[in-house]
Amino acid sequence: MLEILIVGAVSSAIYAMLAVGFTLIFGVARILNLAHGSFYALGAYGAYFFTTHLKLPLLPAALLAVALVALFGILVERVLIRPMRKSQLAMLMITLAVALVIEQVLFLTFGSEYRNVPAFIDTKFTIGGVDVGGARLLALGVGTVLIAALWLFIQRTRLGSAILAISQDPVAAQYMGIPSDRIFAVVMGISAALAAAAGVLAGPFLTVQPTMWLLPIVKAFAIVVVGGLGSIPGSILAALMLGYAETIVAYMISSSWTEIVSVLATLLMLMFRPAGIFGRRAPF
Amino acid sequence: MKKLSAIFSAVCVVAGLTAAPAIAQNKPIRIGVPTAVQLQVGRDTQEALKMAIDDINAKGGVLGRKLEMVVADETENPETGISAIKKLTADEKVDVLIGGYTSGVTLAQLPHISAAKTIYLNVGSASPATNAKVKTEYDNYKYIFRVGPLNAAHQARQLTVFISDFVKAELGISKVAIVGENAKWVQDLVPLLKKGATEAGADVRATEFFDAQTSDFSPLFSKVKDSGAQFMVVILSHASSDIFAKQWYDSRFPMPYGGIDVKSMDGDFCERIGGKSVGEMAANFAVRAPLTTKTIPFFDEFKKRTGRSPVYTAFGANDAVYIYADAVKRAGSTEANGVIKELEKTSYTGIPGIIEFDDTHDVKPGTATYKGPALLLAQWREGCKREVIHPKVMRTADFVYPAWIKK
Repeated sequence: MLEILIVGAVSSAIYAMLAVGFTLIFGVARILNLAHGSFYALGAYGAYFFTTHLKLPLLPAALLAVALVALFGILVERVLIRPMRKSQLAMLMITLAVALVIEQVLFLTFGSEYRNVPAFIDTKFTIGGVDVGGARLLALGVGTVLIAALWLFIQRTRLGSAILAISQDPVAAQYMGIPSDRIFAVVMGISAALAAAAGVLAGPFLTVQPTMWLLPIVKAFAIVVVGGLGSIPGSILAALMLGYAETIVAYMISSSWTEIVSVLATLLMLMFRPAGIFGRRAPF
Repeated sequence: MKKLSAIFSAVCVVAGLTAAPAIAQNKPIRIGVPTAVQLQVGRDTQEALKMAIDDINAKGGVLGRKLEMVVADETENPETGISAIKKLTADEKVDVLIGGYTSGVTLAQLPHISAAKTIYLNVGSASPATNAKVKTEYDNYKYIFRVGPLNAAHQARQLTVFISDFVKAELGISKVAIVGENAKWVQDLVPLLKKGATEAGADVRATEFFDAQTSDFSPLFSKVKDSGAQFMVVILSHASSDIFAKQWYDSRFPMPYGGIDVKSMDGDFCERIGGKSVGEMAANFAVRAPLTTKTIPFFDEFKKRTGRSPVYTAFGANDAVYIYADAVKRAGSTEANGVIKELEKTSYTGIPGIIEFDDTHDVKPGTATYKGPALLLAQWREGCKREVIHPKVMRTADFVYPAWIKK
């Protein structure tokens, strides 16, 4: 039981880091960013590249990777998304193209083989008789702190209030003098940084290869559909639900069945409550 | 004048007659290489072929003719695979085909290889079905040979021997768990393995399948641990071997594991995952160990040329060139029927062992008395070196338990 609690919490933290950024950029800028999983991949590959090829210590390498991915996210928003923002379909196509280009660039640069991101902590911890890798506990801790920090940032700061205002009523916010373009860029940066951080933290115990962007985007998509597209509390709750549902299925039934959980959850939610748990309206 | 003209004509005719074979003599022997060029298996097939071709050409070629290779990308798609065969046989008019990787692609290619009446030396796919028709429809399918790897049925049998002769008899462990990815070939293989292991006296405590996309093995490890098993036999090909090894190491899982783990065959697998596979025993067809006189020189030369260790297709590809060249020399020409007769008589000391073909033109597996290619269970050791542990006849070092397991 305790094992399910710990393993489920780790999965949920990684999922939440992915989904919160994904839902944030949708909630604020209405950008359904299919390249979000690529930010996760770039974070992991960045940490790998800086530690292995440039021989940087892990912490500066990780911070540099996250910062560069955040800048890259801002650049994508500014150069590719902003001119097309009026068309949802164009944005979908552009972000998908970005994801595919990044996959090919990673493939051509690093090959198809998986790579290793070193772990901050390489020791085993035993909690109540359950053996857990240090890297997983770190992912749980840092993930929780990052999401809490983001929550505080949005609730307590001036910039956070501007983000909230735009997500609630973009037109009114603009009339109030809030520079929406700048806010979109900031949110894109935060969203990309969160995904990159998830990649850096999960890289030591999950796979790092060019196609690694795909599964996270599927999970993030499932979580935000269940939680309500655009709702941060909804995403956190749905990440917990999905993380634990998958873990329980794996423990009680079989690991073969875990991947169907997210797909099934998405399908059921779209059928019976398209707006999701906390969504204000159906996203589609 | 008429006489002079007749003599001149005769000289021209004779010159023409002798010149024609001279041109044929100098024409290179063309090796067609259908392979998945974007994957490491494909890249290594080409590198290993080049090594053999360069070596043979440096020694004067075969029957005075140089060897050259033409590559066609067969990807992992049967339709592209068929196009590759057509391109190589119809357009490039190659004398022999050496390549292959995915069994599904090879099976789709077989009728086209047969129709082109071109010898095909398979160095990648493991399905027994690729060679089944050689026996039943010899005239149509006599062109098909497998130089490597061992077919899946032989692999299953040798893995059963590993459980009985090593895990049970040497380690003294009878409680085992079998875990494999949810793939058709694994689902077919696991019952055979379970039956074989049980007949050998092993107690199979758990049989678990998991999705190839699985990213968290904690639940699976938990079930295996709770089953009371003391050794985990794995069958992984497309699954995330890297995540499996990382999470096994990170949680210091209290039992060793070994079996078929295709990605762990890569020479740099251990380095790629930060040394976390140290302790794992993975099946290989060759490792850098003195299996034959050719093994270590091949590994060293390959590393010198490419900077990496070869994967399994490289062994077959390199051996296949020499085997074909020897058969052509013995046959005295590249004419397919003559070369096939000579190939059937092959007994060649290759990289993984002695290469001989059975009556389906499939490479014969090694036994306790015959040093043919065997499923070598090699253990990753500190510094990401590999040592052969099983079979005993090929052993290069004794098994060592992972540091956190006390025995």
